[in-house]
Amino acid sequence: MTTLDGSSVKKLIVACDAGMGSSVMLASTLKKQLAKNGVTVEHSPVAHIPSDADVVVTQAGLADRARHVVPDIPVVPFQLFLGDPAVAKVVKAIQDGSTVEV
Amino acid sequence: MSDEEAQKPLTDLLAPASIRLDAVAADRDDAIRQAGAALIEAGAVDPSYVDAMVEREYSVSTYVGEGVAIPHGTLAGKDAVTDDAIVVLRFPAGVDWGGNVVSVAVGIAAKGNGHIALLSQLATVLLDPEKAAALRDATSADAVYELLASDEDDE
Repeated sequence: MTTLDGSSVKKLIVACDAGMGSSVMLASTLKKQLAKNGVTVEHSPVAHIPSDADVVVTQAGLADRARHVVPDIPVVPFQLFLGDPAVAKVVKAIQDGSTVEV
Repeated sequence: MSDEEAQKPLTDLLAPASIRLDAVAADRDDAIRQAGAALIEAGAVDPSYVDAMVEREYSVSTYVGEGVAIPHGTLAGKDAVTDDAIVVLRFPAGVDWGGNVVSVAVGIAAKGNGHIALLSQLATVLLDPEKAAALRDATSADAVYELLASDEDDE
């Protein structure tokens, strides 16, 4: 487990296989939710996660690959594209400026 | 990746002929191959892309909730994409999708970012249970267009 400080998150990356579908949908949803918090939300293929990301969310099946690409950045795996509790916790921590275990 | 690139008009991206409201599929692979065939007919992908779509589904499911899946290929299959296009296949009888029942498969081929506004709107539809039900129950292409047209307050 890593502690993520929501108030320090400036860039959130949604990583997936192709950057074609599901990550795009989740990124656009998160972008709306976090627009007021000054957070940049981008989607990216898992192999090309930018090194200046503060937190990465990705499908559970891709989490190990993501951690390999960016070993120093917290990676939050999720199961559901819409309404996943792990993603909701990260969103709340960023909105509240609180910390969360990821 | 910038989302600010020019967005295609909805009917360019999702052609009327690419909306199939009474599809029947034997299983998930069959449904994905039908979505792939519709993308080929739309002139967006080479046949090899369909295999990439099926393979991708075995590694990571594209089920996104509310009875909707968004089958698409992988980065490796991207060379087989010649144009951005979306197809909508509705399976009124439902398709078993690894334990979930899928009523609508939204097939995606993306070369650039022309499809992002539509996917963004799809996410909005799926987060609203009433709109999600309306998509599952859509019986006309107009109803599909109405649901997937971008909100003006999108940004």
